[in-house]
Amino acid sequence: MKKLTFDYYMQIDYSEAVSSCHFTIKCLPKETLRQKPENVKVRLSPDVPYSTGRDSFGNTQIYGWDDVEHTTFSFRITGNVYTGFDRREEQADEDLLAVFRHPHGLNRAGAELSAYHEGMAGALPEDAYEKALFLMHRVHEDFVYEKGCTDVETTAEEAWKQGRGVCQDYAHILIALLHRERIPARYVTGMIPGEGASHAWVEIEKDGFWYGIDPTNDIPVGDDYIKIGVGRDAADCQINRGIMHGGGSQSQLVKVSVDEEQAE
Amino acid sequence: MEERIQRLDLLQHTDTVNELLARYGVKFGIYKNNVFKEQLFPFDAIPRVIAHEEFLFLERGLKQRVMALNLFIKDIYSKKQIVKDGIVPEDFIFASSGYMAECEGAMPPKGIYTHISGIDLVKGKDENWYILEDNLRVPSGASYPMIARELCRRSSPDTFHDNRLEDNRNYADLLRHTMDYVNTGGHTVILTPGRYNAAYFEHSFLAEKTGAHLVNGSELRVKNDRLYYVTMSGGLEPVGAVYRRISDDYLDPMNFRPDSLIGIPHIYDVFRKGNVALLNAPGNGVADDKGIYYFVPKMIRYYLDEEPVLSNAPTYLPFYEKDMQYVLENFDRLVLKDVAEAGGYGVVFGSTMTKEQKEDFIALLKKEPRRFIAQEVIDFQDLDIMEDFFVIPRKADLRAFVLMAEEPLVWKSGLTRFSRNPDSFIVNSSQGGGFKDTWVLSQ
Repeated sequence: MKKLTFDYYMQIDYSEAVSSCHFTIKCLPKETLRQKPENVKVRLSPDVPYSTGRDSFGNTQIYGWDDVEHTTFSFRITGNVYTGFDRREEQADEDLLAVFRHPHGLNRAGAELSAYHEGMAGALPEDAYEKALFLMHRVHEDFVYEKGCTDVETTAEEAWKQGRGVCQDYAHILIALLHRERIPARYVTGMIPGEGASHAWVEIEKDGFWYGIDPTNDIPVGDDYIKIGVGRDAADCQINRGIMHGGGSQSQLVKVSVDEEQAE
Repeated sequence: MEERIQRLDLLQHTDTVNELLARYGVKFGIYKNNVFKEQLFPFDAIPRVIAHEEFLFLERGLKQRVMALNLFIKDIYSKKQIVKDGIVPEDFIFASSGYMAECEGAMPPKGIYTHISGIDLVKGKDENWYILEDNLRVPSGASYPMIARELCRRSSPDTFHDNRLEDNRNYADLLRHTMDYVNTGGHTVILTPGRYNAAYFEHSFLAEKTGAHLVNGSELRVKNDRLYYVTMSGGLEPVGAVYRRISDDYLDPMNFRPDSLIGIPHIYDVFRKGNVALLNAPGNGVADDKGIYYFVPKMIRYYLDEEPVLSNAPTYLPFYEKDMQYVLENFDRLVLKDVAEAGGYGVVFGSTMTKEQKEDFIALLKKEPRRFIAQEVIDFQDLDIMEDFFVIPRKADLRAFVLMAEEPLVWKSGLTRFSRNPDSFIVNSSQGGGFKDTWVLSQ
């Protein structure tokens, strides 16, 4: 068993005062067979009341309306996560599986990604899980990690065409390929040690359970991974979303840390 | 029939009625080349008359259809049994733009999705009625026959004394009951995007007639998981039902399109918690897609274990190999529709294409078979309209309105739209058509 301590901090600074804003934050680690969160605390600034709800993918979200004038909005989520129990995440909801078998939003393959997939015909293993690992290796090999050349709206096809991108793009590309194989696949946001920001990977369904695989690092998800949200693509799992009145220009800062603690 | 109608005193008053309609602001707004233009919606005084028995038949078929469609939507956003049982292929649901994953696991109050449905039908020259399409999102049009009837009665009371027809002025009561039935506690409001919307006249007219508040997005606010109406003095009063006349995409910038300025942040979260009714429920687009249309008769058999009373126009899905074959062989006599388009756009007739256009289209069809449906061209009946003192025939359809509370109810009237162009089958008001009142005979 491993005990991880995490700290997710997000701050937005505005050049002019914000008179009111609406926010939705999806940043609470989920309890699964693989990970057990504990002592999770949420702090908002300004400190306003919020509601808690669950979206259609089972992610917990907190949301609310802030009418305290401010020039900085921030939230900090801290807690512990115990891992090392199981490789499986949660049981796959049979009714939702089909949703994760079809292209949507940012994970769509276009002509080039489809051609790439077709080029692998014959080389793919039979077994769905083995096939997913094979595709992960290939994407890891054929795509270059580079920050700053894609953004939150970049689709799988666009990223693939330029051949470079970040964890979000690796995940979208792999999901697009898995969909072409009709393997249920979903996008995951989370945290890993040493990254400093949030991370993204992919989950595939096998024998009724979800399993995480990380195409950016070319490994199955291990005990250092803290999973936050799931969805079809990055847009479904956006960690924070907001609308504000006023504010002028804004700059956003995100600091994430994950450390291993000696379990007692 | 023609002779009898010629004698209608009402026809002497066509101009008066049209002038009154203009004065009451019965207009239809359209954007052309990015310029907003309001145009009158021309009224033709010769009513479409539906015999009593015939309407009973339509009523049975429409109730059945809406019942099945509502069960379908409920099923899709929960168990998806119809997909698991192989009646509707996954591809027509989860890859469709009308499917909204956000609606998974959100049960609307009393399980009603299709509160107000607008079902478009035509009557063929073979005397059979055919369903053209189901409109389950934000169907508009009921206000036009409502006000036209009111003004016609005023201009020509004798006409309504001499003819035994169903009074259609109860639409507001039916609508009010439909809204109240699902209200979770609080005011009932009609949410409009504002006066630059094509159907703004209708929004304001229905609000006036039902006694609901007409509001725009900025007058509603979410607080502590409830929806409130912000009063003139800044107070907050709870809202329990919203007849929203804006599409799902624009409803809530925190859950759907973030750039929507006409929605209400977090209204969808309140809905998910069961604290407000939205009419119609979000996510209905999954059931009125042109691809799904093909499956409606199958749904009726599947959910209700009944044979469909009303027929679809014969439809082929190139998605199925056998249908593709048929479409290619009979291309010249079919009409092809892009499932993603609405309002009469994306509709092409095989017979009017040049050789080149046809080749291009077939290439596209083979590449994206899921995107199109093909239908036999229904030769539908003409209705008489008056133009410069002459009676001339024009193509017309009927939008029937079905309201659902305890059970589906069919409004004993409807919007009859006609094409003003003699060669056109396209009757959509956004393409310049006119309208008629629809009379349902009471005996």
